[in-house]
Amino acid sequence: MTCIHDGILRAHMDGEFSGAELAGVTEHLVSCAHCRGLFEKLRAERTQTENLLATLAPAADSIAINPAIAYAQFNRQFGTAPEPKATLIARLFAPHWRPAWGLAGLAIVVAILVSVNPVRTWAQRILAMLRVQKIQVVTIDPTTLMSSSEPDSRPYKLINQFIADNVVVTMDPGKPDLVSSVTKATQLAGYPIRMIGSLGAPRSVEVNGETAFQMTINRDRVATLLDEIGRSDIQIPESANGALIAVHIPKTVISTYGDCPVRHRYVSSNPQSQAEALAERKMERMANVKDTNCTYLIQAPSPTVSVPPDLNMSDIAEAALELAGMTPAEAHSFCQTVDWSSTLVVPIPRNSSSYETVTVDGVEGTLITETLSQGNRYSLLWIKNGVIHSLAGHGNSSDALSLAASLR
Amino acid sequence: MGTVQTLSRSMTVRESSSEHWEENEFRGVFFQHYARIVSILVRLLGDLSHSEEVANDAFWRLYRQPALQTDGNVGGWLYRTATNLGIDALRVSGRRHQYEEAAGKAGGEREISGPLDDLLREEKCRQVRAVLASIKPTQAQLLILRSSGLSYKELAEALDVKMSAIGTMLSRAEEEFRNRYLALHPNEEEL
Repeated sequence: MTCIHDGILRAHMDGEFSGAELAGVTEHLVSCAHCRGLFEKLRAERTQTENLLATLAPAADSIAINPAIAYAQFNRQFGTAPEPKATLIARLFAPHWRPAWGLAGLAIVVAILVSVNPVRTWAQRILAMLRVQKIQVVTIDPTTLMSSSEPDSRPYKLINQFIADNVVVTMDPGKPDLVSSVTKATQLAGYPIRMIGSLGAPRSVEVNGETAFQMTINRDRVATLLDEIGRSDIQIPESANGALIAVHIPKTVISTYGDCPVRHRYVSSNPQSQAEALAERKMERMANVKDTNCTYLIQAPSPTVSVPPDLNMSDIAEAALELAGMTPAEAHSFCQTVDWSSTLVVPIPRNSSSYETVTVDGVEGTLITETLSQGNRYSLLWIKNGVIHSLAGHGNSSDALSLAASLR
Repeated sequence: MGTVQTLSRSMTVRESSSEHWEENEFRGVFFQHYARIVSILVRLLGDLSHSEEVANDAFWRLYRQPALQTDGNVGGWLYRTATNLGIDALRVSGRRHQYEEAAGKAGGEREISGPLDDLLREEKCRQVRAVLASIKPTQAQLLILRSSGLSYKELAEALDVKMSAIGTMLSRAEEEFRNRYLALHPNEEEL
């Protein structure tokens, strides 16, 4: 048998082998004086080196380190709070507030202000094209990987990272203004703000600033993202590569009535409070009864989305709908029926939601009803004078119509 | 999986200038590795606060590399980076020590601060560190990490080599270390 390499002898000395390997080396050492000599030389070198290096070992009590204190010092030294861009992106795209599908309508229009989950948001952002003149509902399967993603899941993080990397915010909405009256909200928003007359004074009125952002579609990056989240089956059309999509969202006003949960308005840069906020949101999701006596009215002028004239929106929308949970065939057939230049497409979960077309405020509207264990939740959507309205709350869907009738 | 990692890494190279880790994940990694990294650096540098500075530098570099969140070998990366920085710092302080000695500032002026055993131990540490600073950085890195208790697997991850190569690398490094030590301190043949 040929002699053993010194690296193998060295590993053998450290007990790195077992089974047949161990037996082979041991057997050879018994029979080969040369290798035994080498082994002994290596052992001597190891011992000498170990002894010398052992003098460097610090006394155990001399390096008592408290990671929490060290981390605080690290933060002070380097200021690891997110940069402005990241803060803004986090604020824009984080799931600010519940309730989920009760706000479906406007959650989609103002996708960056209200997100139910990341992919839906991402898909919706792509879907909310050009100037919205009408609303169309599409049902999706909420059990797919993407639609059921939790905020702390890997797909969620990957998509958030993707958005942070690729979306350029050109207009920062700043902090929302909490105002004391609808009159004040009208002044700030620059268009007439209405209130639900039959519910009395709103509990809170919040004016969100203008927002604008843009993204250039990089087909390779999108493909990488889709690959990473396990949806490499979805194809982004070649023609979309390099297309710049710019979104502008005017000021939106959110009024609440009744016992509404406090909104998680900002994502703090403090890891501790982020974790707390996340935990709190999870608790709310589990309980999800806090807002059963809460009604929302959201008013938002149509966002405008600029896309290159030759961009085939239908192809991109197909990909986005597949991501949101439709089969390719469903997505293709649905996309043929939609005028993407003027339609806001609202995806709703297939198994727990239904929708109907109703007359509201003198125009055609869409009433979405979601069946939950603690009762129904409705979301009534319509567009009047260029302003998208979303009225959401708990109870019978007929309540929505009577509340809408009292708008003034 | 390999493809995914390669792609995400290449994306980061392009965009790393304004990116960083998600805070909670980073905090978790910091808590998991910080104490051990510092204790390894203390072996190299001898001084706790200096070691913490170097460790912070390594963690700061990590913070700016968000692709490592999904890399799966954050520990290896940290040990590699921290010991690289530590060896650099050791070499710098070694050179400074030489200058000081040449200028007559070191040696005789050192205060006698404890029993003889402590002084001898301190002197031995200085010699060992001088040898570590003089051999190839990868070898010094390997020896200090092994001496700090890292397994073959952890060493392979830290040095980004195959586990089967560790035995050979260790024997070469030990031979080099021993030879260099004897060359610098010929009177200590028995070590």
